[in-house]
Parts: sequence; C-alpha cells; structure tokens
Amino acid sequence: MYGKVAVIAASLGVIGALGAAPAFAQERTVKITGFGAKSGVVRVFGINSEAALKAAAEEINKAGGVTLGDGTKGRFAIEFLDDRCNAEEGISVVRRIASSDAFVAVGPTCSNVAESLFGILQKKVGDASDTGLQFPIIADVAAKGGLAKISEWAFRNVPSEFEMYKSLFAWLKTQHPDLKTIWGGVEKDFAHSNATFGVMKSQAETNGLKVLGQSEWLLADTTFSTQVREMRRANPDIVAISAHPFTTCGVLKEMDRQGVKPKLLIGLTSSSSIETLQGCAKQAEGIIIPTSFAPVTPEAKKAAEQVAKLGGSADLHSAAAYEIMFILKDVIEKQKIMAKADTVQADRVKMREGLAALKETNGLLGKVGRTPDREAIKPFLFVHAKDGSWQVLYKPAS
Amino acid sequence: MDFYLGLVQIIGVHTLLGLSAYCVLLTGQVSLAQAGFFAVGAYVAGMLTVLGGWPLIPALAVASLAAGIVACAVGFPALRVKGLMLVVATTAFGEAVRLFFFNFTYQLERGELRIGPHGGEGFRQIRYFPENGWSTLDVMLFIWVVVIAVMAALWWMDRSRIGAVLRAVGEDELAAQSSGINVTAVKVSAMTIGGLIAGLGGGLFAHYTTHIEHVQFGVVLATFAVAYPILGGLSNVFGTLIAVIFIQGFLIEGLRFMGDWRNLLFGGLIVLAMIVRPRGLIDAGTLVALKRLLRRGERAGA
Repeated sequence: MYGKVAVIAASLGVIGALGAAPAFAQERTVKITGFGAKSGVVRVFGINSEAALKAAAEEINKAGGVTLGDGTKGRFAIEFLDDRCNAEEGISVVRRIASSDAFVAVGPTCSNVAESLFGILQKKVGDASDTGLQFPIIADVAAKGGLAKISEWAFRNVPSEFEMYKSLFAWLKTQHPDLKTIWGGVEKDFAHSNATFGVMKSQAETNGLKVLGQSEWLLADTTFSTQVREMRRANPDIVAISAHPFTTCGVLKEMDRQGVKPKLLIGLTSSSSIETLQGCAKQAEGIIIPTSFAPVTPEAKKAAEQVAKLGGSADLHSAAAYEIMFILKDVIEKQKIMAKADTVQADRVKMREGLAALKETNGLLGKVGRTPDREAIKPFLFVHAKDGSWQVLYKPAS
Repeated sequence: MDFYLGLVQIIGVHTLLGLSAYCVLLTGQVSLAQAGFFAVGAYVAGMLTVLGGWPLIPALAVASLAAGIVACAVGFPALRVKGLMLVVATTAFGEAVRLFFFNFTYQLERGELRIGPHGGEGFRQIRYFPENGWSTLDVMLFIWVVVIAVMAALWWMDRSRIGAVLRAVGEDELAAQSSGINVTAVKVSAMTIGGLIAGLGGGLFAHYTTHIEHVQFGVVLATFAVAYPILGGLSNVFGTLIAVIFIQGFLIEGLRFMGDWRNLLFGGLIVLAMIVRPRGLIDAGTLVALKRLLRRGERAGA
C-alpha cells in the first residue's frame, strides 16, 4: 500500500516537475546596472541608490517580474558599480556596462561625472558623423540643472531645483513678509551646490529679499568659524545654505556655537535626508527644504520601509532610483524589449525611444511629467526639521 | 572591447602625467606642480578646439607650449628652494592654478548656447573626438602615438649627455656643480620639459573626458603624478608605464568588483609594492636581469 502511494506521489512529482520546467525555462534575468559614488564624502548617496534599486527590483519580481518582448517573464537583478564621484572612473564604468549585455544604466551620483559621461554619448540620435556612445543612461541623483540636454541618450528622473526654489521663495514672501534680508552659504567646489546656490540667490532677489553676502567653503572642509563670523556680522533674517549634509551640519553647529540665530533657515534639497538629522538634528531644527520625497503617501511609506530593510535610506535621490526601476519595467513592456545577448543593440535603441516617448510616469508622490529635453517635472513639497524628523510644512499646488 | 580601449586611453594619458614628473624627479626634485601644468594644457587645448574651432594637433601643440612656458616661469623661483620647501612651493602653485580655473569664466554665444569655461561649474562639451568621427580605437591609437613619441624622446634623452647631466644633478648636486654643470639651468630645463609633457597630457585628458573642472586638478592628481615614477622606478621610462598600468589597470579597474574593499586594498597594495620593490617596480637590477634573459634567449636561438 505504502509502495503504491510512494510510486503515485513520485509520478505526480515528476509530472509536476516536467510541467513546471518549461515555465521555469521561460524566465530570464534582466540585469540592470546602477553606478554612483559608493566611496568618498558622498558615498551615502551611492549606498542609498543601490538599496533603492534593489528594493524596487524585489518588489517588481515579487509581483511577477517584467514581461519581455517575446512574452517570457524577466526577473530584475541589480548590480551597482562605484565610480568614486570621479569623471574618469564614471566614463570607465559606463564603457564597462556598455560592453556587456546591458541595455540601460542608472546613475551617476555626481553632476561632474554626469557632465563627462553624457558628453561621451552621441549628442543627436541618428547623427552618423557623431561617434559618441549610443547607450541610454537615466540619472537618479546628479541634480545640476539641464544635464540631460547634453545628449539625446541621457535622461533624468531628478526634480527641477529651479522650480522648487522658485516656489519656495514665492511662498516665503507670502508667509513671512517681515523677512527682508538673506545671507547665503555655499559649498563652492561641488557643482550641484554651486549651481543651486545661483538659483537660490536669483529667486531670493526676485522675491524682494536683499542679499547681504555669502560665505563659501569646500566639500571636505571641517571648520567654518570664519564663514559663520561673516554671517554673524551681517545679521540676516534668513540664512540659505546650499551644501550637502556633511558641511551643512558643520556650519549649523558652528552657527549654534557662535550664537547665530537667523529667523529662518533654508537648505539644499540633498540635505533633506536622514544624514542631516543623524548629524545635527538639534541645530537643524526648523530648517526648510523643498524635496521631491517624503513618506506621505502609502507608496512612499512602503518604499521607505523597503529601502531601509536593505540598508539604505529613502530620500529625494534614492526615491528617484526606486521610481526608475518601475519606469524601466514599463518601458521594457511597452517597447517589447527582449533582454537577450543577441538583441542588445536593438534593445538599447528601443529603451532610448521608450524613455524619450514618455509624457508622464508614476512617482511616489504622484504623477511625474516628462519634458521634451528628457527631464522630469516632479511633484514636490516643503519639509522642515522638527523634533528630530522631517515633517511636511507645505505642499504647493502643482 | 570599447571598455578596454577606453582603459588603454586612460593609461596613456596618465603615463604622460607620470612622465612629466619623471623628468623633474631625475634632477632629484619632487614637484607637485604637475597637476597645475596638466590643467593649463587641458583648458588651453579645450578652449582652442571648442571656442577657436582649431584642429586638435595644433591645439595640443599650443597647450603643451603654454604649459611649458608656465613651467619654465615657475621653475626659476621655485627651484631656488629644495626638498620639502620645493614640495610646499609647487603645491602652492598647483593650488593657485586650480583656484584660477575655479574663478575663470570665458564664454561665447553659440546659437542658444553659451560655451566655454564657466568657473566652478567647469567647461563642458569638449567633444572634438566624437564630433569629428573619431572612434574609441582611433582615440586610443592617437593617444598612444603621442605617448610612444614622448617615451622614445625621453629614452633617447636618458641615454644622451642630457640624461647624464640630469642624473648627475639628481645624484649629487654639489658634485655636479663643481664639475661645471649649471644646476639651475638643468633644473629649470627639466621642469620645462615636464611642463611640456603635462600640457600635452592635459590637452588629451580634456578631450577624452569632454568636461573639465578645477577639482580634477587638485593635490590628489599631483600626488598620483609623482607616485607613478616613484612606484615604477626612476631607472628608465618604462617604470612609470608599469606603475600606471598597476594603479589604473589593476588597482582601480581590476579590483572594481571588490566594491568597498577596493579602496582599502588600494593603499595597502601600494605600500606592499613599495616594501617589496623599494627602488621601484623596474629598478636597475630588474633591467640587468632582463638583459641577461634576453641574451640567453638570443644565444639559445643561435
């Protein structure tokens, strides 16, 4: 009796296995390579991006994966390479990725790397006289304005800081008409901070604020007493700091030490992150920052939890990486990308066309518009540091 | 394939940078100004091709000359000091050049665009190679023609009276001076030759990276420039090449798969290499052994 049962069970097992085998064989791995700074001062951005890409890939794979051009199911696998925020290494990393079966890459972290590697891409699609690399890249972090204009193979899912600060200063004018003067602080040697400081300054002036001056420092600086002393002498109503969390915290601590207490503090988008709160929550209390991410929707909350599980932290940059995986899934399905070794060239062209054709994508805070010059128009809100966390202060009407 | 060709390009340009420091090191001086000369070459060549519409070769020649002139001008006052003082003086010069380009803006209108160096935001769209139909292989071959020409010239120089004079100054300045060698002229000449080579390398660097900005030409690059010939050995020009291959090819690219561990290993392996080969990866002993090996091979062949 037991022998018969065992034979039947074994037969059923074999039949089941045979039945399942074709389905299993129908699955393909779709490797997506991200790259960015995983070492150096800004390494945290690379770590967060990698975690976000992996979290989104897990989520997509759990929901059944991505449907490829021939109907087979694909499962995302993420690889992440370190470019050390160095342009030469960034170019090398992209050439390495483009020499593989990859049909798209996600990155980089630093705008100076994006400048160089978007420059080695073909400028205009179909221009036979331009021998630039024909490989689509979609950026998640590099935030300096207008970078995607460099090449038609370059795309970005980063917010428009111009729109964010334009909206913030206009809002401040209505909310705090009593504030008349502003002092700027800028991390002068970092392309993103420097470019965004220009935006902050022009928007402050446009909205009737008098710019009393500016203090400058470098990304690797650790002492800020001279810069803060200048600030103290000027005694401004507002201090706007265009710097990343590491030096933002240094400056805020020095301001605290010297007793510089402006009526309002404004920060750089990249500083609306957990690193700022970990570094100087007390001194950052009240700082207002526009951001394209906060865990205010169910999707955003879920994404933040998943990214945290993988050792990262969700902020406006890593949230962009998370969203990119879903954008890639949609484009792969819409463009019927095969993700096979012998279709790489065609897949790259399809991916570029698919990304260029996008008019709108789904973001964690709502719909994200796409511009003809391959940039994103992301919904944003203003957050402020309160009781050791980022809390939503105001959500502008989009 | 494209990746390997790109890597060979990087090795070529860094070899030029290392060779520029090699010339100065032969006279026994340590200069951290090479990154500054490299920056001068990069900006001059980039401006000539992008703003002036010049062909690449004359642009590189002018860039090299400009860096050489700057090196010569710096050489006179800087080489009055020696040892650590010279290191400080040349570091200060390198930083001054970097900060000059940090503040340097010269842009022209081209249609809707403004092109040219833009201070701290850098100088983008130096796209001579792709816009003129150069493939990655073409660029690699061009860079290596330049590298081989420079290496051959230095090889010849090493074997000529000029090389003997440079090494004499490097070995014992006082003895060289007492035998009638104008030590200042020799040191300034070495600095100028180093500047010419660094300018050439900088010009090529600007064109293959397509975007340059002041941060790329800081103390780290200057340290690499000196580290290449010291790590490779000063007995001949090939030591620098071997060191560049070791650092750029193996430590930076070869170990990339190791993720975060790569950076830890990077420093450790350089220290190990210096302990195992204190006189450089290719020292005089290695050369003698290689020659013996070659002769043995010839005899066996005969």
